Amino acid sequence: MADRMEITVNGKTVGVQKDSYLLAAVTDAGFEVPTLCHHKDLTPGGSCRLCLCEVEDGGRKKLVTACNYPVRGPVTVRTDTAEIAQHRKILAEMYLGRWPGVPVVQMIARECGVTTSRFASEITDDAPNACILCGHCVRACDEFMIERVLEFAGRGIKRHLTMPFGEVDHHCVTCSSCAYVCPTGAIEIVDDKNRPLDAKAIRDHGMKVNAEMATLDSKQCRMREVGTANIVDVMDAYDLLPVHNYKFGKHPEAKKLYSTTLKAEYFTQGAADACWRGCSMACAKAVDGFTLKTGPYKGQQVLVDGPEYETAAGAANMGCFDGDFCVEFNFYCDTYGIDTISAATAIAFAMEVFEAGVITTKETGGIELRFGAADEALTLLHQMADGEGFGVDVGQGIRWMKEKWGKDGEHAAFLQDIGMEVKGLEFSEYVTKESLAQQGGYGFAIKGPQHDEAWLIFMDMVNKQIPTFEDKAEALHYFPLFRTWFGLMGLCKIVWNDVVPADNAVQEEAHKIPGHVRNYWKFFEGLTGIELDEQKMLDQSARVYNLQRILCRMLGFGTRKDDMVPYRAAGPVTREEYESRADRYDGQLADVVGVDPAGKSTEEKMKILRDFREGQYEKLADAVYRRRGWTEDGVPKVETLAALGIDLPELVEVIKADQ
Amino acid sequence: MIRVNDTNVEWRSGMTVTLALEAMGYDFPLISVFVNEQFVPEIDHDSFEIPDGADVKAIHIHHGG
Ligand code: SF4
Ligand code: FES
Repeated sequence: MADRMEITVNGKTVGVQKDSYLLAAVTDAGFEVPTLCHHKDLTPGGSCRLCLCEVEDGGRKKLVTACNYPVRGPVTVRTDTAEIAQHRKILAEMYLGRWPGVPVVQMIARECGVTTSRFASEITDDAPNACILCGHCVRACDEFMIERVLEFAGRGIKRHLTMPFGEVDHHCVTCSSCAYVCPTGAIEIVDDKNRPLDAKAIRDHGMKVNAEMATLDSKQCRMREVGTANIVDVMDAYDLLPVHNYKFGKHPEAKKLYSTTLKAEYFTQGAADACWRGCSMACAKAVDGFTLKTGPYKGQQVLVDGPEYETAAGAANMGCFDGDFCVEFNFYCDTYGIDTISAATAIAFAMEVFEAGVITTKETGGIELRFGAADEALTLLHQMADGEGFGVDVGQGIRWMKEKWGKDGEHAAFLQDIGMEVKGLEFSEYVTKESLAQQGGYGFAIKGPQHDEAWLIFMDMVNKQIPTFEDKAEALHYFPLFRTWFGLMGLCKIVWNDVVPADNAVQEEAHKIPGHVRNYWKFFEGLTGIELDEQKMLDQSARVYNLQRILCRMLGFGTRKDDMVPYRAAGPVTREEYESRADRYDGQLADVVGVDPAGKSTEEKMKILRDFREGQYEKLADAVYRRRGWTEDGVPKVETLAALGIDLPELVEVIKADQ
Repeated sequence: MIRVNDTNVEWRSGMTVTLALEAMGYDFPLISVFVNEQFVPEIDHDSFEIPDGADVKAIHIHHGG
């Protein structure tokens, strides 16, 4: 948390954050200081020395460059002494002598009271777009793009900007950040190869994202540092990290999978691989030189792409709190072409079924598949890929396993309750028991329980921003459509809310990150020339979203029953789960359900809670379908298609019997 | 007593925003705090004292996935 302190600037008391740079405090207080090498989105250059200020600290006075002077104590600052004015004047005269035609230099000279220079020489460059060696471009390349394509070479008057060996460096992704921050036009964009309609608009808004990554990410989600794995720590702290097939939301050993551990012991920084060269977030991480302990590549050193949050959380779900296991599991899933989420969730299910005694080593081919059995989980993964042994069963997925082991009827209900799949797809790695909206986020998602349509747990469970069914339904209307829009456009979701603008908190509807939503509209507008607003964007998505639902209908799915979640997603299935959070559940029975838990057995309380929560989910389904313009059975109404302009006869034909 | 995200939290004299967040176990990096609808910047979390009876919203900007 920030340390706040007070300093005095030109006699005025100013509140500052400890370790922040003096220049910000001075300008925030309303005083102007000339700068040439400073850029608001870049680390300080400290080279032009125009921002000199006098700092009095413990009775001692000194001149400092304000842009890179960190405030560490209650200092007294003067920005306008005669000595400072004289320094600036000489500097301005020197700059003007070297680059007399550059507008930004002329402007600064005027501010310093200089109109002519005594310092013209043979190195004077009259060009209005001369390079003034401010270093913005060098720092933008490094800080925005994590590249070092540009650098200064030469000393003294020979100092100049260049690429390595004076040649065009293939690491340059032509992101144009350097041109964007150049104050003189010395770097010019000569061609926009994709020929968008309005390249400047796209660039202007893209650069905002780059700047946020450079300036805010390290204080926010640390995507550059640890990628999506940062969420492991957060989910464990908020009782949302799936543990033992979603029974629990945290575990004392989860720290072994925290991003801090992954960073300290596994990630090889510098080997990060962004989805595309030029992404300023570059959230994908890599583990280099990892020696495999199992499988066909046993003993070999490999590079592993990850682990991402979902893979680390999947390890927790299997009870395997072991970084080596997580990385090896990650490698082999990738190598075999198996989704880490489905594999982990399916194995976690099989582990619980084994521990519950529904299956034994007879079914597993001798594998003791208990929670935490990391070696056994890897054996199973290899079997899945080889099409051998028990791996064949697990590889079919949870829906298939539920049917196979529940056939005799004895265990069918239990398997249904703990089998974390909807529409045949395994759940991704979040505990949703305390968030009705997120149960819906998973249940109503068109392609099954993944969270790329809606992740509402904080809004719902923690912030309590969407208390009513209608509020939740609105969120389950807006976010799935908004996030579908990313897919339609081929744009990444991560830069939408894994870094947020500094002023986001005070924006209306801050939860939508409106500054970033507008950025996306501008990208679309810059490419196509079509102006967007919220409604137009949602309509674009709604056409596709409804079409997808109708395609589900064509395949015999896409109704209410297909949107139901297993009870493990909504509440405690086992006594062990209920009793692990008895205070929470007892409290809810009393406060929310209106039933006194005193004197009731755990089983009685579980039944009451279950009836209540299942009833809530049904009410949510009613509200969501209403908001989406669907029938009570969850099928798009013909009038909804008509309003979206997609009431094509062949689509209407599919759903007409459902109206 | 104060309310933090609709949950009762015992108030004590000198209770700052930081202490209230700690009491709730909130350590997510993207939290915007409003005390009686007034936004409290993060720089003031250590010093801003929450009055008794206040309604505090600690809005976690959603994340995840
Ligand atoms: S090219 Fe532009 S940004 Fe780079 S050092 Fe020269 S003036 Fe500064
Ligand atoms: S702005 Fe150039 S040294 Fe501070």
